[in-house]
Amino acid sequence: MRGLNKYFSIAKASLEVIFVYRAGFAFNMIGTVFYVVAMFYLWQTIFLGKPGALGGFTWPEMKAYLIVAFILNSTMTWFDEWTMGSDIREGRVATDLARPIDFQLKRFAEAIGPVPFELVSALGIGAVVAVVFGGIALPADPVHLALFIVSAALATLLKFAIIYCVSMVAFWTTGMEGVQNARMAVQNIFSGALIPLVFFPEWLRGFASVLPFQGMISTPALTYLGAMDGPTTAFMIGTQAVWVVGLMLFGRLLWRSAIKAVTINGG
Amino acid sequence: MPLIEAHGLTKQFRQAVKEPGLVGSLKHFFTRQYKDKLAVDHIDLSVEAGESVAYLGPNGAGKSTTIKMLTGILVPTSGSLIVDGLVPHEKRQQNARKMGVVFGQRTQLWWDIPVIESFNLARDMYEIPAARYKANLAEFTELLGLAEFMNIPAGKVSLGQRMRADLCMALLHEPKLLYLDEPTIGLDIAVKDSIRKFIHRLVEERGTTVMLTTHDLGDIEDICNRIVIIDSGKIIHDGGLADLKDNYARDRVIHFQLARPPASMEPICAGLPACDLHADGLSLSVRFDRFEFAAGEIAAAVMPHVEVIDFRIDEPEVEDLIRRVYLGQLSLAAPEPTADTPESAVAAEA
Repeated sequence: MRGLNKYFSIAKASLEVIFVYRAGFAFNMIGTVFYVVAMFYLWQTIFLGKPGALGGFTWPEMKAYLIVAFILNSTMTWFDEWTMGSDIREGRVATDLARPIDFQLKRFAEAIGPVPFELVSALGIGAVVAVVFGGIALPADPVHLALFIVSAALATLLKFAIIYCVSMVAFWTTGMEGVQNARMAVQNIFSGALIPLVFFPEWLRGFASVLPFQGMISTPALTYLGAMDGPTTAFMIGTQAVWVVGLMLFGRLLWRSAIKAVTINGG
Repeated sequence: MPLIEAHGLTKQFRQAVKEPGLVGSLKHFFTRQYKDKLAVDHIDLSVEAGESVAYLGPNGAGKSTTIKMLTGILVPTSGSLIVDGLVPHEKRQQNARKMGVVFGQRTQLWWDIPVIESFNLARDMYEIPAARYKANLAEFTELLGLAEFMNIPAGKVSLGQRMRADLCMALLHEPKLLYLDEPTIGLDIAVKDSIRKFIHRLVEERGTTVMLTTHDLGDIEDICNRIVIIDSGKIIHDGGLADLKDNYARDRVIHFQLARPPASMEPICAGLPACDLHADGLSLSVRFDRFEFAAGEIAAAVMPHVEVIDFRIDEPEVEDLIRRVYLGQLSLAAPEPTADTPESAVAAEA
């Protein structure tokens, strides 16, 4: 564990940076609040037309889904392809390579550092929004809550792993903004952030189920609601874990071969 | 055993070749063409512990590429490289623990948080024992005058302050080896001076081995006892500063201020056959090989023929010498021909 101490320090420093940019952070948060409120009104309208359950969701459950999605989307917002891409392109990674640190772990420490603060802010805002809109469904069973926490943690790791892999594109292209937007578009659709996957047509749902993105929103949200039976929940959380491990390793592999190409052939 | 030992060390880059314009870009998109560029070409280098080496060369000569191989950032194309018993790129992290690097153009400090926090981060990254960290930090803070901006974010301090803090950060873990890549670039004279003194002290007192790239010859004279010059990927000089002067800066020039123009140059020239004379009105300059003649002999040969009011002697300038190497006017690979190029004569008189 002593070897991990340095990464803890990096995470702490990274958390400090967020306080330096508190105005930017606040605006970011305000932006997402508007977004979540808009989503609430949109879904409220849909549910008003169709009283009762829709796609298996009651209105309080749908509200809970939206709040969970909001909270998960509000974490790890300081780690993106654009930042890491410019570090790669402008050669700032050379500084990292001159230090006795693991590149992926360092990036992870930087990404995870601000998460506790983001989480507290998002929980606060989420609670206010939930109260204003007349409350949300709570987990029926403490087991669901416990499993949800596990699933949400995996969702955050998954987010890191996906962004880390996508960032490696920076070794071959300069248009990281486009790459990032593409990743976000795909993620918003297939994670279930915009529309729960249950509303998808069969073929699209099948497609979503083989992608890692469902583990970012859909799996933790459905776990929170207890919408899946025991074995399914276990399977879905297991799938999340497999994706996390797989993509983390894949990211390491990508980095290794990319940096090799750069350090062997030149940029 | 030397601390750094390189044999036939070579780094070849593959550069994409692209024709100009949209057509060129399109062509490149479909048929990529590459050209190999030898950045470092079979260099042999051996550095003993405690040496302070100036690694010089014009832009693009291969200095940074060499440093990047030594630090383990770049993988050599061929040749062998051992730094303190390790192959740097194979044991990158272990190698990193034993070295410090300062890039003049790029800070290692955490941009947004106070300087002291970056130091604390270095403590954890290099796992520096608390007592040693405290002692080193106190010493460097005093020597480099860091106290006044310790609590200011690195992004908000001046360049001179940043460089001093970067030096401190690179040294807190007491590295055996310190690589400095243009450490005084863009700094004012006072800061340059304090940084040079600090590095000099480090070499003297801690026995740190320093390898320095620079374009500032003041850095070399103040810090280094050995000069390695690389050009087009090849080492063209390796030796002491005095050697460099002895081997290549042999010319001295005596300038005489005369009371009246010389009646005739003939007798003076006859007395100094191997020298290069320039007469211009009331001034007369004689360029001579300082190993062939003593300044007194030149004066003795000149004095009988003219009335000398005053004279001064120009010592060979390393700066001028290196500048000529960079410009390709002087080849260090072969002994310098005795005949002077007109440019160097002008430079010496200026």
